[in-house]
Amino acid sequence: MGNLQILLRQHVGAPCEAIVKAGDRVEKGTLIATPTGLGANIFSSAYGVVEDVQEDRIIIKPDEEQKDEFVPIAEGSKLDMVKAAGVVGMGGAGFPTGVKLGADLQGGYILVNAAECEPGLRHNILQLEEDCEKVIRGVKYCMEISNAAKGIFAIKKKNEKAVARLREALKDEEAITIHLLPDIYPMGEERAVVRECLGIELETTQLPSAANAIVCNVETLARVTEAIEERKPCFSKNLTVIGKLNGGNEPHVYMDVPVGTSVGELIERAGGIDGVYGEIIMGGPFTGRAVEADEPITKTTGGIIVTIEFPDLHGAKVGLLVCACGGSEERMKDICAKMNGEVASVARCKQAVENKPGAPLKCERPGNCPGQAKNNIQFKKDGCEYIIIGNCSDCSNTVMGSAPKMGLKVFHQTDHVMRTIAHPLYRHLRVSKQVDQLPEGK
Amino acid sequence: MSITAETAKEHAKDPAVLCCRAEAGVTIEAANLEDPAIFDDLVDSNLLNLDGALTIEQVIGATLTKTCDSLTPLTADVLEGIQAVAAPAVEEAPAEEVPAPEAPAVPPVAPVAPHAPCAGGVLKIHIGEGKDIDIEMPMGFNHGAAMAEVPAQVVPVAAPVAEAELEPKVIRSVSRKHYKITEVRRGPETKIEGTVLYIREGIEEEAVASQELVHSLKIDIITPEQYHTYSETIMDVQPIATKEGEDEVGTGTTRVLDGVVVMVTGTDDNGVQIGEFGSSEGYLDENIMWGRPGAPEKGEIFIKTEVVIKEGTNMERPGPLAAHSATDVITQEIREALKSVEDDSLVVDTETFEQVRRPGKKKVVIVKEIMGQGAMHDNLILPIEPVGVLGARPNVDLGNVPVMVSPLEVLDGCIHALTCIGPASKEMSRHYWREPLVLEALHDEEVDLCGVLFVGSPQINAEKFYVSKRVGMMVEALDVDGAFVTTEGFGNNHIDFASHIEQIGMRGISVVGMSFCAVQGALVVGNKYMTHMVDNNKSESGIENEVLACNTLCHEDAIRALAMLKAAMAEEEVAKPEKKWNPNVKATNVELISKTMDKTIELVANEQSLPMSQKRKEKYD
Repeated sequence: MGNLQILLRQHVGAPCEAIVKAGDRVEKGTLIATPTGLGANIFSSAYGVVEDVQEDRIIIKPDEEQKDEFVPIAEGSKLDMVKAAGVVGMGGAGFPTGVKLGADLQGGYILVNAAECEPGLRHNILQLEEDCEKVIRGVKYCMEISNAAKGIFAIKKKNEKAVARLREALKDEEAITIHLLPDIYPMGEERAVVRECLGIELETTQLPSAANAIVCNVETLARVTEAIEERKPCFSKNLTVIGKLNGGNEPHVYMDVPVGTSVGELIERAGGIDGVYGEIIMGGPFTGRAVEADEPITKTTGGIIVTIEFPDLHGAKVGLLVCACGGSEERMKDICAKMNGEVASVARCKQAVENKPGAPLKCERPGNCPGQAKNNIQFKKDGCEYIIIGNCSDCSNTVMGSAPKMGLKVFHQTDHVMRTIAHPLYRHLRVSKQVDQLPEGK
Repeated sequence: MSITAETAKEHAKDPAVLCCRAEAGVTIEAANLEDPAIFDDLVDSNLLNLDGALTIEQVIGATLTKTCDSLTPLTADVLEGIQAVAAPAVEEAPAEEVPAPEAPAVPPVAPVAPHAPCAGGVLKIHIGEGKDIDIEMPMGFNHGAAMAEVPAQVVPVAAPVAEAELEPKVIRSVSRKHYKITEVRRGPETKIEGTVLYIREGIEEEAVASQELVHSLKIDIITPEQYHTYSETIMDVQPIATKEGEDEVGTGTTRVLDGVVVMVTGTDDNGVQIGEFGSSEGYLDENIMWGRPGAPEKGEIFIKTEVVIKEGTNMERPGPLAAHSATDVITQEIREALKSVEDDSLVVDTETFEQVRRPGKKKVVIVKEIMGQGAMHDNLILPIEPVGVLGARPNVDLGNVPVMVSPLEVLDGCIHALTCIGPASKEMSRHYWREPLVLEALHDEEVDLCGVLFVGSPQINAEKFYVSKRVGMMVEALDVDGAFVTTEGFGNNHIDFASHIEQIGMRGISVVGMSFCAVQGALVVGNKYMTHMVDNNKSESGIENEVLACNTLCHEDAIRALAMLKAAMAEEEVAKPEKKWNPNVKATNVELISKTMDKTIELVANEQSLPMSQKRKEKYD
């Protein structure tokens, strides 16, 4: 086990402040950094010694021997324990869960985000298949804390095994139902979950609380259960490692990986990189970013993907269609550079809005296209030979409705990942956005 | 891109095309539909075939019976519950065909302004069979697309009985006494003897001394035989005129010299032309579009100053102003000589301009946007002498806010133009002296011209909107029925030009915009009120060709704008622009107006009538 690098910012809000110094001994669950504003407690994920405290991280040299026991958090109300355990949104958003659950939903909803929408990721669904009870108990705790009357699992219909396990486990739970989602991207966007489950289309600036709802990821709920039942601090993460690895492109799911473990160590654990590769992505194919092997995982890391090499466009002119559903303009430019293309034009999906200058893009109607022909006309006029798009399933389909006929060759920013993991490319949409629901959600 | 409910309403009669894949069972709403603004491009690229497509108003609320992909035109076989639409619209159609819009301002390269506009229309009446058919067209609605209904409607509306009783009222007048000059000579004193103008020898030194930034000034007397002379860029062309006695600009009597103009030219110490976007240096006869309102007439003598200003000041405000002020030292001495002429037999012609108000007629205002970005983009407003310097205020110093003047003040030289940018589209001082739109509107008995509002075009966007909002408020307070907005140059100033039109249009006032647009000057912005536009382009290729005054507002533009504003005020629909600039639209509109008014309209020549310059050959043609 190599050194752990525990970042001081693993959540929405301000970075935490270290409360340990070099030379200090720490145990699993020792509180090592506390919030300075909006944030969540950070704990050591191993027994060992603090080797260094840097501006943005704490370096811990772990002991050779690691026990399972951990330092428990103090007893308190359920909400206090969730806060004390430093639970954050583990689907990737990283919003402090204790703050989220502090709202009074007045009989509203806890919506379980079990969409696991980023292709290639597997750990959320696997957790439901193997231990959905822990998650269901988490739902019930959250309903109690935030005064919600109902819980709804939002899960794609294609995950038949997990759906079957949930149906079995929920058959006597009157207040909790299942809402099936179609297999299109993005269904896991927070506002898409609200729309699908409750039929309410939120503005890009609105939080689910505007619909009397809180959306929580599967793993987050399991961590809530651990905090309340086991007094366990949040210092480990479930994740999927997948890609061009020795032994094949099947997903490797690791539960309870210590936060701070390096990406490289996890790749080695999964078999190591198989020969030459394109890039390593932390996160999902759509919203992840390229990282180096020494980067540490955090409470929000869901995936590590090693991709095949990029195609070479030999300096051809490329148009970028930036969208809220995919990478930022910076990420798209990164991909274009790796493909040896020259950015000749940049367009933004009409529905992608910046709530504040510089803030991440949000889609006004996730998964429902506003039309893309005008952007293609722009690309054509700007002399592009290729375009790289970062769109959702529906918008990608629309792009394909005109781009090829205009002589634009289309790449999706996830193509190199999809080819790596043998997943269909995002081009034409061949499935319906409508799925039949279970009788009464059971 | 999908459209809003509001856009769907505006485009109710346009074809309905899915913007994205829609599944069977979906109720069609605006968000499902593609914006008709891009159909032309799509049809051009063979992406779209609109045959059989229903209109937007027919499909809204209907249910899709089959899953269809993006860019599918919605037809009756994939919809249930198509909305019934009133029949008359369909029956009218055969009477009118192919509305051909006025020169559009939409650039072929960047269709950023889907609403950027233009208007006009071709009326074709096809009568397959018939006898004794009289077709009458009232004047002033030559651009209507909905011609079929017009004769019935417009005639009664245009002449309400009660209003016809009101008498026109003369507010004030100004007389011009013309003195003919046939020769300009240098001599010991500045004086006018018969038809000979003498300019004092050595006056150059005083002109230079009057301005710190002026390092030298040379006077050339250019006679028609010498038109093929090299000149630095032409900064201005000015009439030589003076007021009699205590008369003020815009009233009383003005004396003006015929056959001679002042021409300001210059560079800085390093030989850099005093100009910004292009300059007109070169052989005079290759770079002047003769006879434009702002340009010399062929046959006139030029008193041409060649001013050299301090290096690097050519792009700063004081530099160009110094060149103009130094030249005015000479002009002022000529004005004094003209004032002192006592021999009335030297007056070859007297013209009187009357400012007439016509109560009961449609009240209109002319808003003229003038440059105010600083450097040479400035104008002196209301000097004491026509096109003088003394007593005037630069519009930049006035904050570019709108200033109201009378039409007669315009024609009497209230603007001294420090113009340089884009020689072909800028309005010289002489332009205002002969401003065609002011003249046309003043003489048109069907409209009541209440005034001319000058507004500067500031450099900074925030200031642009500051002044355009003032324009909106002023025009609102004037209670006019219609407004013209004209501009000079292109590019930066189109931002406030568009905003002026928006500010006026949003108040429910008909507005016609006039600018050089064509190809190179294509509008960079647009808004939904920019539906009535007249393009001042005359150049063959639709470009800023650096030929002095080539693309400025001329009589032929003024009459089109007037006809269009009348059509707009009568609530006639004006056809949309074509997708790309098409000079035939203008030709068609002129022909229509000419027929309706039963008057031949001579179109002015363009740069093709001039000897080809090396610059034009290399850069443009």
